[in-house]
Amino acid sequence: MQMFPKQEVVAMLLAGGQGSRLGVLTKKLAKPAVPFGGKYRIIDFPLSNCVNSGIEAVGILTQYQPLILNEYIGNGQPWDLDGMHSGVNCLSPYQAIQGADWYSGTANAIYQNINYIERYDPDYVVILSGDHIYKMDYNKMLEYHKEKNAACTIAVIDVPMEEASRFGILNTYENGEIYEFDEKPEHPKSTNASMGIYIFSWKELRKYLTEDAELEGSSHDFGKDVLPAMLNAGERMFAYPFEGYWKDVGTIDSLWEANMDLLDPKVTLDLKDIYSRNPMMPPHYVSPDANIQNSLVADGCNVEGNLEFSILFSGVTVGKGATVNSSIIMPGAVIEDGANVQFAIVAENTVIGKNAKIGQRPEEVENRDNWGIAVIGENTVIADGAVVKAKEMIDSEEVAGNEK
Amino acid sequence: MRSNDVLGLVFADTMSDKIPELSASRTVASIPIGGKYRLIDFVLSNMSNSGVNNVGIIAKSNFLSLTDHVGSGSAYDLSKRRSNLTLLTPYDGKNFSNYIETIYNMHGYIDHCREEYVLISPGNVVTNFDYNALFDFHSKNDADVTFVYRRGVVPAGYDRPLTVETDDSGKVTQVRITPEIGDVEVNQVYGSMLIKKSVLMEEIRNALSVNQLDAKRHIQMSLDKYKVFAYENTGYTAVVSSINSYFDFNMDLMKKDVRDALFNPKRPIYTKVRDDAPSRYGLDSRVKNSIIAQGCVIDGEVENCVISKGVYVGKGAKLSNCIIMQDTKIGKDTKLNYVIIDKDVTVKDERSLMGFDSYPIYIAKKSVV
Repeated sequence: MQMFPKQEVVAMLLAGGQGSRLGVLTKKLAKPAVPFGGKYRIIDFPLSNCVNSGIEAVGILTQYQPLILNEYIGNGQPWDLDGMHSGVNCLSPYQAIQGADWYSGTANAIYQNINYIERYDPDYVVILSGDHIYKMDYNKMLEYHKEKNAACTIAVIDVPMEEASRFGILNTYENGEIYEFDEKPEHPKSTNASMGIYIFSWKELRKYLTEDAELEGSSHDFGKDVLPAMLNAGERMFAYPFEGYWKDVGTIDSLWEANMDLLDPKVTLDLKDIYSRNPMMPPHYVSPDANIQNSLVADGCNVEGNLEFSILFSGVTVGKGATVNSSIIMPGAVIEDGANVQFAIVAENTVIGKNAKIGQRPEEVENRDNWGIAVIGENTVIADGAVVKAKEMIDSEEVAGNEK
Repeated sequence: MRSNDVLGLVFADTMSDKIPELSASRTVASIPIGGKYRLIDFVLSNMSNSGVNNVGIIAKSNFLSLTDHVGSGSAYDLSKRRSNLTLLTPYDGKNFSNYIETIYNMHGYIDHCREEYVLISPGNVVTNFDYNALFDFHSKNDADVTFVYRRGVVPAGYDRPLTVETDDSGKVTQVRITPEIGDVEVNQVYGSMLIKKSVLMEEIRNALSVNQLDAKRHIQMSLDKYKVFAYENTGYTAVVSSINSYFDFNMDLMKKDVRDALFNPKRPIYTKVRDDAPSRYGLDSRVKNSIIAQGCVIDGEVENCVISKGVYVGKGAKLSNCIIMQDTKIGKDTKLNYVIIDKDVTVKDERSLMGFDSYPIYIAKKSVV
């Protein structure tokens, strides 16, 4: 067997979930592969964080629709994760002598890859998820973990009290030690929301994963099973306070908001040192008729229309007289002449026909509850002059019914 | 003939004496162009896309920026088990000042390569050309040498352009070296040719034996000995041979047909990747008819410009007909017209610079205005 140099830390990135709340956007795409910020995919953020924190071994647990994600990760070269003895590996469920299992929960996914982790003989394992946008130095968190002599450290962010009931809240003593997990509490006792970033001392984690695997009735989930078991057993568990930009992009609204945050000068997230696979496209062209205000535009775009508060991914075309406002247009999409796209997400390689009207402003909708971001799925053709209302979600396979 | 039987040889210093501003600290091949490219990206991409996977680049001096840019060749897919990019530089004080001695000095490398043919290209040409069409033409005619030419007016900078005339089959009937050729349309041989390796090395030795160091003259003299053909590159072709032709090419990129011809998605132009974020347009930006690369922040007005990676244009700045190279900062309320600004320049607030269509001003790398 090949010998691997020891890695103090191995990162395991949970990328197998369906992300069903993103609807058509994740129909053929794992959530971490969803495009973000004009040229990135969500997974670029945790991957770049790993590299920038000096973590050189990263396992990506894939299960749901892994094709695009696998292809995108490739040999890991864009993130410098193509080392001779370390780097990035996509780990899918597999068959073995004792049978074949899908990953039945987040903890089970790690449990099934104990062999992968142990090749590196690590002292610590970082568990990450592929649905958050943030920049973080995991090294600082690791130092905190060591300093507290903890078995497990969970990163937390301070959220406003009125929103605390949407999160998993960690209640701690003054020294940061956790005494209680409060999942989406009705009456939150504190505002420390879990960011879904865990550092474990590997020996302890290995023990609890093995115990959990043998436990009947366990859902093999970190949040529901493994962490409570550790707390009940009296392990030292600490909350690591993180300050900075962090956003869950698990829903259409939050994905749209996080993209729009990039256009807000007040938001502290900058995209420096976030790495991604770069498509080979020329710089973008802006025509004499174009008008661009407060937007992000990537390579390969051709802008002849009006752009306001919007994000164009690579290779997008905006035709003459077309207007794109407060929208996210993913790679290769075409907005034809005279079309009007507002408060919308248009997925990859979709064509919006001439003079079509996609999405509505909040004030155009009588009942605010009926307002939302309009979403057009990938590879869809929207007919000339078609109208797509606020909050509608269009799937390429159902498009015939939505035309005209 | 198969494309993997062709060795690519690129001259990195073509016309460097005619573009002294831009090549002061770099080879002609590594002059930044078109917002995110270096000149050599076009030749290397064409070779790679045509299946030529062993390429040598001949550079005589100032090649730091060139080596930094091309690296191992992996950006062009030229760094694999069966593909290679080699930088050929002066050694042992040998003379690299003319074409014939340069190739002769490289005979060790050229002989060592197992390819039977050599495809020579200058480093100052911008085109998207499928060399396979040239290879087919060459084989079909069982030629010894095939020159590639472009039809058009010879741009400024060429003192003694080489031009050819052919019969209907493409066989070369006349080779001319005409000083001060003027504004007439000719078939200009710009330095790209396909030749059997054995013929190339034999003629290099023949030329040296009679102390003939003028390559163009030698071609003229040897015409009758070989089957010499010429093949027209009918696609868009620009040669950079002066600061004016450099400026004109960049401005050509505002034309859709030029962009479509150069940036064919089936034959992409590769370049060294930099992790720049998408460009950000501010609330008061006003951009018209311009090429903008990634990593820029544009808060001012930009018209008829090529803006490279990582450029900052401050509020109230007015730029027209400018080429701004990477990571340059243009301050607030500046006014620039017909200016070429090299890398890492700082133009302070409220400065004003005016060139003219026929005389763009050039600001050197790392200057502070």
